[in-house]
Amino acid sequence: MKTIRPLVLTLLALALAACGKSGPATPPTAATPASAEPKKLSLFCWSEYVPQTIIDDFTKETGIKVSVENYSSNEEMLSKLLAGGGKYDLIQPSEYTIEALIKDGQLLPLNSAALTNLGNIAPEFRAMSFDLGNKYSVPYMAGFVGICVNTTKIKTPVQNFADVFVPANKGRIVVLDDAREIVSWALGSIKLGINDVTTENLALITPLLKKWLPLVKVYDSDSPKTSLKNGDVDIGVIWSGEAALLYAQDKKFAFVLPKDGAHLFVDNLAIPKTASHPQNAHLFINYLLRADVSKRISDAFPYYNPNLAARQLLSPEQLANSASYPPPQQISRMQTFRDLGQLSATVDELVTQIKAKGN
Amino acid sequence: MAEPTRQIPTVLGLDPRRASWKAWLLLGPLLVWLALFVLLPTILLIVTSFSNRDELGRVVYSFNWDNYRRCFDPTWLSIFWDSIVYALLATFICVLVGYPAAYTIGRASPANRRILLTLVMVPFWTSFLIRTYAWISVLSQEGLVNSLLLSSHILPTPLSMMYTPFAIVLGLVYNYLPFMILPIYTSVEKLDNSLVEAAYDLGAGPLRAFSRVIIPLTRPGITAGALLVFVPAIAMYAITTLMGGGSNPTIGEVIQNQFTRARNQPFGAALGVLLMLLFLVCFFVLGRKKHSAHPV
Repeated sequence: MKTIRPLVLTLLALALAACGKSGPATPPTAATPASAEPKKLSLFCWSEYVPQTIIDDFTKETGIKVSVENYSSNEEMLSKLLAGGGKYDLIQPSEYTIEALIKDGQLLPLNSAALTNLGNIAPEFRAMSFDLGNKYSVPYMAGFVGICVNTTKIKTPVQNFADVFVPANKGRIVVLDDAREIVSWALGSIKLGINDVTTENLALITPLLKKWLPLVKVYDSDSPKTSLKNGDVDIGVIWSGEAALLYAQDKKFAFVLPKDGAHLFVDNLAIPKTASHPQNAHLFINYLLRADVSKRISDAFPYYNPNLAARQLLSPEQLANSASYPPPQQISRMQTFRDLGQLSATVDELVTQIKAKGN
Repeated sequence: MAEPTRQIPTVLGLDPRRASWKAWLLLGPLLVWLALFVLLPTILLIVTSFSNRDELGRVVYSFNWDNYRRCFDPTWLSIFWDSIVYALLATFICVLVGYPAAYTIGRASPANRRILLTLVMVPFWTSFLIRTYAWISVLSQEGLVNSLLLSSHILPTPLSMMYTPFAIVLGLVYNYLPFMILPIYTSVEKLDNSLVEAAYDLGAGPLRAFSRVIIPLTRPGITAGALLVFVPAIAMYAITTLMGGGSNPTIGEVIQNQFTRARNQPFGAALGVLLMLLFLVCFFVLGRKKHSAHPV
């Protein structure tokens, strides 16, 4: 017994030393220029957004093991990223969060030479104001926030956010659990722009929010379609992709893009400067940009695909789903969110307090 | 007999009266564990609770009482109160449902006891999140219960059960019931039957025997169970978010929100520290009750 223990320990030490040596010693091959990095990738992405089958196929193709962690709001991602100490290699922030991250120097500039499929992206998405020319980010999916109506239950016409939050709908509403979104709908209802967030304007919309939020039954950003599908609510302000899924399952779920306050969101792939596997992250971005891969993302999560080559592979039925692909003239009218800086905390506080007092 | 202390056998050559370095060595792993995962995080939490944050939500270390002052805003106090009510209700229902179950298990034959105990533990084989999601498909408007009630014409319109306080308490009771049953079971198992028989011999009816003998003797189990249910139930946020739909926020949800969406870790930390103080009070209050119940 006494002799076995040192023996085992020595063997262990030797094995460890051998592992340490053999790691970087593997010869680089032409097919995988990133072989200098361990074959790992840590992906931090929205829940219900990146299909597992695509991740599995990427691993099959490249041998890179992908670990996935999900978030359900940009703020959640921000706080974990900034506290994470280089845990994540690839993140998926929306436009205003990209803007904040660039401003704070948190993103790694992309190596465009490694992104050979970038040309698949539609020209308008290569010239987004938050990251002109895709220096730091590549669009993954875009979409809208709009109204999803169960037309068998709600018979009154719904055109604007104000039509959702009427007393008749009390306890029948689901909305995104996102303070910034909720505030933008109220701003739109009083004909202000979605980015006109100032202390004065917040004071202006406070009475409106106090009328609206007590009517809400469910706050859900992860899967707002669930409560609509189960019949627990009949109307909702939700992501367009979720509405498209509902419509594809049952035509009774209509999607309405409100006249005031509808906006375009663009979720992007970006590499934090603290990433430990930036080359693998580039490989994964380029993989997701491939037309056939991007088409499969659209199959699973029917958002507005900025990948033109992928859009050509979609079926006429997919393209006819108005929640995924609304008329172009409606899209061109839409704005995107800008970063609010210090005010984002004020926005959250306002909504949380009204939410809490609503019951 | 004269000097009983001498007769305590020494284990591993340890002096039973004085902690030697060997004793510290044995305690070591636990102490390191406590220091790393209890003491250090608590200190971090307290330090954070006095700090500020920047635009992106990073903690800026400083010293001020602002976060605590904010905690006493009526908004947060009412959420605190709601959470306490939910947790108390859940604990009370767990005692009502768990006590008879634990008593039956404790008094069953050894073979049956093993089967029954396993049945209590079986739900733990599945993640509590999955079990909570299952409740959604049971309780929703087009779910199992409502379809049954509607198709059998017991109700004309579906009941609204999901995303209500009812659903929150149900979720808590369902998930924490085993934590009530197991400690009560251990007290019931140790219950000396001759004491119950003595109560009957001295003329006590079943009710009196139960309330004056059985309940006091199993009180340690009830107290332990109540703590094991009440404390985690106050701070629980996963179940309450899923089943409450976020429109009846609990303090656990608010704290989680501060650390994520609201970009306000210091405020979340302050709420967390207050919650911890609340737990300390619970322990002292329940601990004292237990003492007075056993006048030795």
